[in-house]
Amino acid sequence: MKEMIVKVKNVVKRYSEKLALDHFNMEVKEGEILGLLGPNGCGKTTAINCILSLLNFDKGEIQLFGQKMTPNSYDIKRQIGLVPQEVSVFENLTVRENIDYFCGLYVDDKNTRRRYVDEAIEFVGLKDYVKYYPKKLSGGLKRRLNIACGIVHKPKLIFLDEPTVAVDAQSRNFILEGIRKLNQEGSTIIYTTHYLEEAEMLCSRIIIMDNGKDLVSGTTEELKAMITTSEKIVVSFLSLEDEMIDSMHKIPHVVDIEKKGEDLIIKFENGNNNLSNLISFITEHKLTYRKLYSQLPTLNDVFLELTGRELRD
Amino acid sequence: MTVYKYFIKVALKNKWIIIMYITIFFVMTLLNSTDAMKREESFVETRLNIGIIDKSMSELSSGLREYLEKENNIVDILEDEEYIKEQIFLEIADAVIIIPEDFDQKVVNKKEAILIYKDDRKPQALQIENQVNKFLAFANITYKDGRFELEDVKEALNESVEVQLLSSGDSYARTGVDSWFRFYYKFTGYVIIGVYIAIIGLVMSDFRDKNVDNRRKISSKRFLDFNKEMYLGQLTLAAAVTAVFIVASMLIMGKKLGEVYYIKYLVNLIVFSFSILCLTFLISNITRNKYAITALSTVLSLGTSFISGVMVPQELLGDKVLAIAKFFPMYYFVKINDSMIKSLLEVRYELFMQLLFAVVFLLIGLIFSKRAQKA
Ligand SMILES: Nc1ncnc2c1ncn2[C@@H]1O[C@H](COP(=O)(O)OP(=O)(O)OP(=O)(O)O)[C@@H](O)[C@H]1O
Ligand SMILES: [Mg+2]
Repeated sequence: MKEMIVKVKNVVKRYSEKLALDHFNMEVKEGEILGLLGPNGCGKTTAINCILSLLNFDKGEIQLFGQKMTPNSYDIKRQIGLVPQEVSVFENLTVRENIDYFCGLYVDDKNTRRRYVDEAIEFVGLKDYVKYYPKKLSGGLKRRLNIACGIVHKPKLIFLDEPTVAVDAQSRNFILEGIRKLNQEGSTIIYTTHYLEEAEMLCSRIIIMDNGKDLVSGTTEELKAMITTSEKIVVSFLSLEDEMIDSMHKIPHVVDIEKKGEDLIIKFENGNNNLSNLISFITEHKLTYRKLYSQLPTLNDVFLELTGRELRD
Repeated sequence: MTVYKYFIKVALKNKWIIIMYITIFFVMTLLNSTDAMKREESFVETRLNIGIIDKSMSELSSGLREYLEKENNIVDILEDEEYIKEQIFLEIADAVIIIPEDFDQKVVNKKEAILIYKDDRKPQALQIENQVNKFLAFANITYKDGRFELEDVKEALNESVEVQLLSSGDSYARTGVDSWFRFYYKFTGYVIIGVYIAIIGLVMSDFRDKNVDNRRKISSKRFLDFNKEMYLGQLTLAAAVTAVFIVASMLIMGKKLGEVYYIKYLVNLIVFSFSILCLTFLISNITRNKYAITALSTVLSLGTSFISGVMVPQELLGDKVLAIAKFFPMYYFVKINDSMIKSLLEVRYELFMQLLFAVVFLLIGLIFSKRAQKA
C-alpha cells in the first residue's frame, strides 16, 4: 500500500464575498500524478495556496506527509516544491543565479547545491542560457526556468500550477516529458490544468473541479465510465430533414442527438451493436452520408454531463 | 548565507546608481577643494561688500563703521532679516553687520555685541568677524572712566596690520582645512540618503516581490534566518558606502587630519548613516513600488539636503524652513558638522536626536512589517 501524502478535507476558503473553495476534498497517494482539472477561476490555485499555507482558510483540515501543515512546518516544506502559475523569478538575476538562489533556500552545502543546480539546468534544457536574464528569454524558456526554480532541491512532492499555459507546442511537450521523468524518479506530482488532453495524457488520476468543489475523482477510464454516454457517433449527411432526427431517437440506446454544423453527433449509452444499429437505420431510410465515425467519450463529455457546461480548450 | 550573498549580488546589479551618486559627490568635493585653496591665498587683500545697520549711532559705533568702511565696500541694506538673507544668498553682500542700540554697554560688559550675517560658503566672510573682533578688542583695552579712546584704537589698528597678517596666517589655514571637511562630510549626507534608499529599497522590493516571496515562504528557510541575512546585507552595504567616504577623506586630506577635530566628523557620519539605514527599513516596509522608491530617494536626498543646510548654510535659511528641517535627522547631522566643538559632549543633543529618529523609524517600520505579514 502506497502512503497517502496529501489529505485535504472539507476546506472552505472565502475571499471577502467570493467563495473560492467550497468544502474541497483531495487525497494524493505517493507516486501518483494527480491532475486537478477545472475551468478558469474554479479555485485550483487557491487550493494549492491553501495546501502550502500561503493562504489561510476558513474551515477544514490539511495534512501533508501525515502531519498538519502550518507556516512553520519546515520539515514538511523541505520535501515540497512548487512551480507557481506565474513566472516567479528575480528579473535582476541570471538563469543560473535564480536557480542557485532558490536552491539556497533549501540547501546550504555549496557542493551539493552546485550539483543540484547543474542537474536542474540540464533537466529543463537551459544549458545554453545560464547567463541570460529572464527578460531575454522567450515565453517557453521562461516557463522552463520557473520549473527549474521549483524543483531544483529535489522535492518528493511537486505542485505544478498550469506550467504549460501560453507555451508553444515544442516547449509544452518538453515540459510534459519532464514531468513524467520527475514522476519516474520518485516524485509525486500534483498538476493543475484546464487542458483536457494534457490531463488525459499525463495524469494517473484526475480530480474534476468546478466552483470550488471537487466533483469526481478517478482514472480517465473510471471517469468516463461514470457518465451515461459511452459512445459517440459522428455522421455528416448530405441532407437531412428534421423529422428524420426525431425518428433517430428511436434507435436503441440513443440518449442525445446534437447538431453541430454539418455534423450530427449521436450519443449512445452503454449497449451492444450501436454502430450497426445506426447503419441499419441509414440503409433503411436510404440516407447518404459523407463520413461516419465512432468516438469514445472525452473528459469534456464527463465535465459536460456533470455541470451542464463545456470545458473547452 | 545564500540570501546574504544574493542580497549583495542584486545590490551590485544596481551599481550604476551608486557610481552616479558617488561621482556627483566627488566632482562636488573636487570643485570645492580647489575653491578652498584659492581662498587661503587670496584672503589678505580681499575687500568685501558689506552692509552696516547702525542702531546705536554712538561714538564707538561710528568708529567701528569708519574702520570697516576703510577695509571694505559698503552696500545699502534694509533692516529686514529675510531681505538680508536674500542679499547674502544672492551674493550681493558678503556680510551684514547689525550694531544694536546698547552697543557701548555690551562692549563694556564683554557681551556678544554685534550680530553678523555672513555666507559660510566663503571663508573670506570670516575676515569680517576678525576685523570686528579686532576693533572691539582694542576698544576694550582703551576703555577708561566710561570712555573709549577711539584715536588710540585707530592707531593701534593701523599698526597691527602687519602683525595681524603674520599671526593669522596659521589660523586661516586651519579654517580652510576645517571648511573642507565640513563641506565634504555635509555632502556625504546627501549621497547616503540617495544611495541607501535607492539601492536598499530597490533590492528589498525585488526580494519582497509577492511571487518571489511566496517561493521563500514555502521553502524550508526559516523566516528569522532569512531576515537576519537580509539585514546583514543592508548593514554591509551601508558600512561599505560609509567606509568609502571615510577612507577617501583620509586619502585626500590625510596629512591634515590632525588639524581638525576629526572624531566629530567620523562619529557624526556613522550615527547619521545608521539613522538613514533605519529610514530605509521603514520605507521598504511601506512600499515595494520601484518608482515610488526611486522618487523618494531623489526627493528626500535633495529636499532634506536643501532645507537642512547642506547646499546653503543653515544661517541663511528661514526660521520656518529650519523648523521643518528639524523633523528629519539631516538637520542635526549638518548642525554637528558645522559646529566648532572640542568635545562630542557639546553635541550630545544632536547625536541623541539622530538616534531617536533611528528608533522611531525602526518602530514604525516594524508596525508596517507586522501588518504586512498578517495580510
Ligand atoms: N486575492 C483574491 N481576492 C479575491 N478573489 C480572488 C482572489 N484570488 C482569487 N480570487 C477568486 O477566487 C476564484 C478562484 O481563483 P483561482 O485563482 O484559485 O482559480 P484558478 O482555478 O486557479 O483559475 P485559473 O485557471 O485562471 O488559474 C476566482 O473566482 C478568483 O476570481
Ligand atoms: Mg490558477
